[in-house]
Amino acid sequence: MSSAAITATPAGTAVSVPPLRRSWTPKWLRVGFLYAGLWVAFVWCVFPFYWMIATSLRAKDELFARPPSLVPHSFTFQSYIDLLVGAEFWRFALNSLILTASVTIISVAISVTAGYAMARHRFKGSVALPLFMLYGQMFPPVLLLIPFYIQLRWLGWLDSLYGLIPVYLSYMLPLCVWLMRGFFSQVPHSLEDAARLDGCTRWQAFWRVILPMARPGIVAVATWVMIHTWNEFLYASTFILSDKNRTLPLGLSGLIGQYTTDWGMLMAGGVITSAPILLVFFFLQKHLVSGVGGGAVKG
Amino acid sequence: MNARAPRNQQLRRTWSSVFETGTGARIYPYLMVLPAIIIVVGVVVYPLVSGVMSAFYDVTLRTLNSGDMAFVGLRNFERVFADPSFGIASFNTLVWVVLNVVVQLSLGLGLALLLHRAIPGIGFFRSGILVPWVVPSVVAVLTWRWMYDPSVGIVNELLVRWGIIEDYHPWLGDTATSLYAVTVESIWKGTPFVMLLLLAALQLVPRSILEAASMDGASGWRKLWHVILPQIRVSFAIAAVLTFILTVNNFNAIWLMTEGGPLNSSEILFTLAYKYGFQRYDLGMASAVATMLFVGLVIATTLYLKLIQAKEGE
Amino acid sequence: MRHFLKYSTAAAALAATLGATPAFADNVVLWVNAPLASAPDAPIYAELKAFEAETGHTVEIQAVPHMEMERNLFVAMSGGAGPDVMALDIAWVAGLADAGLLADVTDKSDPIADQYQPGPLSAGRFKQRQYAMPLYTNNVALYVNNKMLAEAGIDAAPKTWDEFQAAAIAMTDKDAGTFGLTFGGSRVGAFQLYPFIWQSGAEIIADDGTVGVDSPEAIEAVQFISGLYTEHQAMPASVLTANSWDEVNAPFIQERAGMLISGDWAIGALNNGNPDLDYSIVPLPAGKEAATVIGGYNLAINANSGVSDASWELVEWLTGPRSVELMAQYNRLSAQAAAATDEAIAKLPEELQPFMMQASAGHARPVVAQWSQIHSDVFGTVWDSALRGEPIDEVMTQAATQIRQILGQ
Repeated sequence: MSSAAITATPAGTAVSVPPLRRSWTPKWLRVGFLYAGLWVAFVWCVFPFYWMIATSLRAKDELFARPPSLVPHSFTFQSYIDLLVGAEFWRFALNSLILTASVTIISVAISVTAGYAMARHRFKGSVALPLFMLYGQMFPPVLLLIPFYIQLRWLGWLDSLYGLIPVYLSYMLPLCVWLMRGFFSQVPHSLEDAARLDGCTRWQAFWRVILPMARPGIVAVATWVMIHTWNEFLYASTFILSDKNRTLPLGLSGLIGQYTTDWGMLMAGGVITSAPILLVFFFLQKHLVSGVGGGAVKG
Repeated sequence: MNARAPRNQQLRRTWSSVFETGTGARIYPYLMVLPAIIIVVGVVVYPLVSGVMSAFYDVTLRTLNSGDMAFVGLRNFERVFADPSFGIASFNTLVWVVLNVVVQLSLGLGLALLLHRAIPGIGFFRSGILVPWVVPSVVAVLTWRWMYDPSVGIVNELLVRWGIIEDYHPWLGDTATSLYAVTVESIWKGTPFVMLLLLAALQLVPRSILEAASMDGASGWRKLWHVILPQIRVSFAIAAVLTFILTVNNFNAIWLMTEGGPLNSSEILFTLAYKYGFQRYDLGMASAVATMLFVGLVIATTLYLKLIQAKEGE
Repeated sequence: MRHFLKYSTAAAALAATLGATPAFADNVVLWVNAPLASAPDAPIYAELKAFEAETGHTVEIQAVPHMEMERNLFVAMSGGAGPDVMALDIAWVAGLADAGLLADVTDKSDPIADQYQPGPLSAGRFKQRQYAMPLYTNNVALYVNNKMLAEAGIDAAPKTWDEFQAAAIAMTDKDAGTFGLTFGGSRVGAFQLYPFIWQSGAEIIADDGTVGVDSPEAIEAVQFISGLYTEHQAMPASVLTANSWDEVNAPFIQERAGMLISGDWAIGALNNGNPDLDYSIVPLPAGKEAATVIGGYNLAINANSGVSDASWELVEWLTGPRSVELMAQYNRLSAQAAAATDEAIAKLPEELQPFMMQASAGHARPVVAQWSQIHSDVFGTVWDSALRGEPIDEVMTQAATQIRQILGQ
C-alpha cells in the first residue's frame, strides 16, 4: 500500500491561508494536558474495577471494615484458588468460549456483507430494511423470554449451547449490521471506483479493497459482539438448565446467595471473567488504527 | 484512456463475475443481505408479534396454563394508566434517557478524540477505558452498589475525605438521589462503547483532511465542529440511536441497585414492566407497557433518522 | 466392528436398567435452590443416591440460584415445561398453586401431616388444599451485641417491646456513631416488620380473608418500629437503602449497631465478617404475644408432571424423617415435628437452638395468590413511607385499601 500518498487535499483548502495563529500553549504543556486527561479518564473507568480486585483480595473480616481502606491491609488469593481449582469453572469458561467464538464469527460474517450492501447498493427495501431490523431491538428483552422459550422448546434446542446461538444472533445482528453500514458509508467511494477500474469484480473490490479498509469498524463490531455474548446473562439463565451447559455469567450468579453473598468469590469471578476479554482487546486495539487514516486515497 | 484496461481484465473470469451483469447484478445486493434477513425474520418476528399481541389479551400465569386467554382490547392499557407508578416511571424514563444519551455521547466523543492519537502508551489507556464495558454487568452493578453503601461504601469515604459531604449518605436510599446515582453507573458502563464506535469512525477520517484543516489554522473547536464531526456523522447518528435503545432497555443497572425504589423514585418503564410481568405474573399489563415503550422508541428513532437524512439532503 | 460396539453398549445399558430397577422406574427432574447443591459433594447428592437405590427411580437434579428461580419457573411452566419436583420459597406457593401449576397432594400428605411442624406445613396450604411440603424452615430472632449492651448499662437481652426500645435508645450514641438497631429497607424491612404486626395482636390477612393492616394494633406496631428511626434515630441511615441482607448486617458487623433482626442465615455472614464479634441470639422480644415470621423452602410437584407418583416419593423422602439428618448437614432446620422436641433441639448447634425454640411462635405469611405483589408493592411502600416520616395511620389505611383491591374484595 502506498502509505505516503497524501497527494489529494480537498479542493480549495490550499488557497487563502489565513495568518497562522499558533496557539499560545507550548507543545509540552499540551501533551501534558493530553496525558492528564487520559489519566483522569483512566482512573474514572478503572477505579470500580480496581475496587473489585481489592475486594476479591481482602480477607473476609476486612470486607466490612469502616472506614473502608483504599488498599487492602491483608492479601489473600483464597477466592481465586477456590474458583480456579475444580473442574466447574473451566467447563463454564469453555462453554462461554465456544459460544462467544461462534456468535462472533457468524455475526461478523453476516453483518459485513449485509452492512456493505445496505451502505452501497440501492435496491428495493434498502431504506426500510435496516429500520425494520432495528425495530426488532426495541421490545424489552425480558418480555421475549416466554416466546423464545416456546420456540426453542418446539425446536428441541432448550438447554443447549447451539440453541442460544440464534437467540443471541437475533439481538446482536441488527446492531452489527447498523454499525457496519455506518462504517462502510464512511469509506470513500473513490477507493472502490479505483479498484473497479483496475479490473476487479464488484465482489473482489469489496473483498480485497473495502473490507481491509473497514478493519477498524470490524474490530469495533467484533468487540461488541464478543463482550455481549461473553457476559450475556438473562437468556442464558433462562434457557440453560443443566450444569454442564452453564456459561461463566451463570456460574457467577450462582455465587450470589439468597441471603448473603460471598463477595470475595463474586468479585474474583468478575475479575477472572473480564480478564480474557481485556487481553484480547489489548491485542485487537492495534487494528483500530488503520484503514483510510493511513492516507491511501487515490485521486 | 483508462477504460480499456478493465475491459481487458474482464476477460479473466472468476466466479464472482456472475454478479457483474444481468440477473446476477440485480440479485447481488439481495444475496448479501439475505443471511441477515433470514435470521432476523426467523428469530425475531414471532417473539415480537406475540409480545405485542399479549398487550391485548388477558395473559396471566393462570390463563397461560389453561390456554384460555381472552381478548380484552385496551383493558390492559387502561389498567396501566390507572396505576400511579406509571406516571412517575414515564417521567423517570425521560430523565434517565436524556441524561444517559447526552452524557454518554459527549463523554464518548471526548474520550475518542483523546484516544485517537498514536502516542506512547495509548494501547494501555484504550484498554483501560474499555474496562467498564468488559466487566460482566451483574458484577459491575453489585460493585457500584457496594461503593455507594452507606455503611462501607468507598464513594462515601472518598467524598467525606475530600470534604464534599459531611457524613456517609445513602445515595441509593434517598429518593432525591437514587435515580441519579444509578445513572452515574450506567454512564460509566455505557460510555466505552460509544467511545469505541467513534474511535473506529475517527480512524476512517482521511488524515489529509485533518492536516489540511490544521494548516488552515483552524482552532481545535472549529476543526471539531466543521471538519471532524461532519466526517463521522453517520457513525455518530448510529451511536446515538444505539445508546438510546440500550439505555431504554438497560435493566440490570436499576433492577440490581434499587429495584426501582425507594418509593418508585428510580422506577423506569422497563422495571415497571418487569414488576407487572414477573412479580404480579400479569404479562398482559407488562406487554402493554412494553408495547408503549416499543412504539415510542420506533417513532423516536424513525423521526431522528429522517431528520438526519433530511439534513444530509440539504 | 462399530456395529458390534454399538450393540454391546446398548445391551449393557439395557441390562443395567433391567437388572437394577424394579418395573416402574421413572426419571424425576428436580430443581433445587443453588445453595443446596453448591458443590459436587453437597449432602443432597448422597441423599438422592440413597433414594435412587431404595426406589429404583432416577433423579436429575438442576441447581437454580434463588434470584432466578421464580422467573425461570414462571417462564418454563408458562411454556408448558418445567421440572417434576421444584423447591419453592414458601412465599411463592400460593401464586403458582392458584394458577393451577402445582399438583394437589392433599390426599397423600394428610396421613403424614402430623410429622411436620404446623407453621411450615401451613405455608404450603392454599385454599384448604396442600400443594407443597416443607423442605427446611427458618425464622427470625434477635441478635444482640453483648459488649454494646453491657456498655449501655443493660444486663439482659430485651424480652418485651419496652425493654427492646429502651435498649435500642440506650445503645444509640450520636458522638460515638453507634445505633441501637440495624434494619432493612423496602421489602427486607417489611419482612422484618411482620413479626411485630403479629405480636401486636393484629393480622395482616386473616384466614377468612379479612385485611387487618389498618387496625389500631397494626398501626401501633409500625409506629413502634419506624419510630426507632424517625423519632429516636436509633437506626443508621443504611435502613433507607438496605434491600439485601448483607447491607442489613453491615452495621452490626461493624459494631455500629447493637441489635439485628435476622434468621439463621446471618450466623455465617457475621462470623466471616467479624470473627471477634461477641453476640448472642435470643428469641424476638414479645408484644402482646410472641411471634416470628417463618421462611424457608418447600418442595412441590408440577401439575403437568408425567411421573407424579415417583415425584411424590421423592418429596416424601426429602421432607420426611430423614430431613432432620440431611438439613443438619447444611446447618439448616428441618420442619419435621421430631426436630422441634427438646432432645432434638439440644442436639443442634448452640447458635441454632434459639430459632428452633421459638419455632412454635412462627407465623406463615398470608398464603394468598397475590402475596408477591402485596409484599413488594404494598408493604415495601408502607415501610419506605414510614421511614420517611409519612403519617403511619394514613399509610396503613391506604395499604389496607390497596390490599383489598388486589384481593378483589
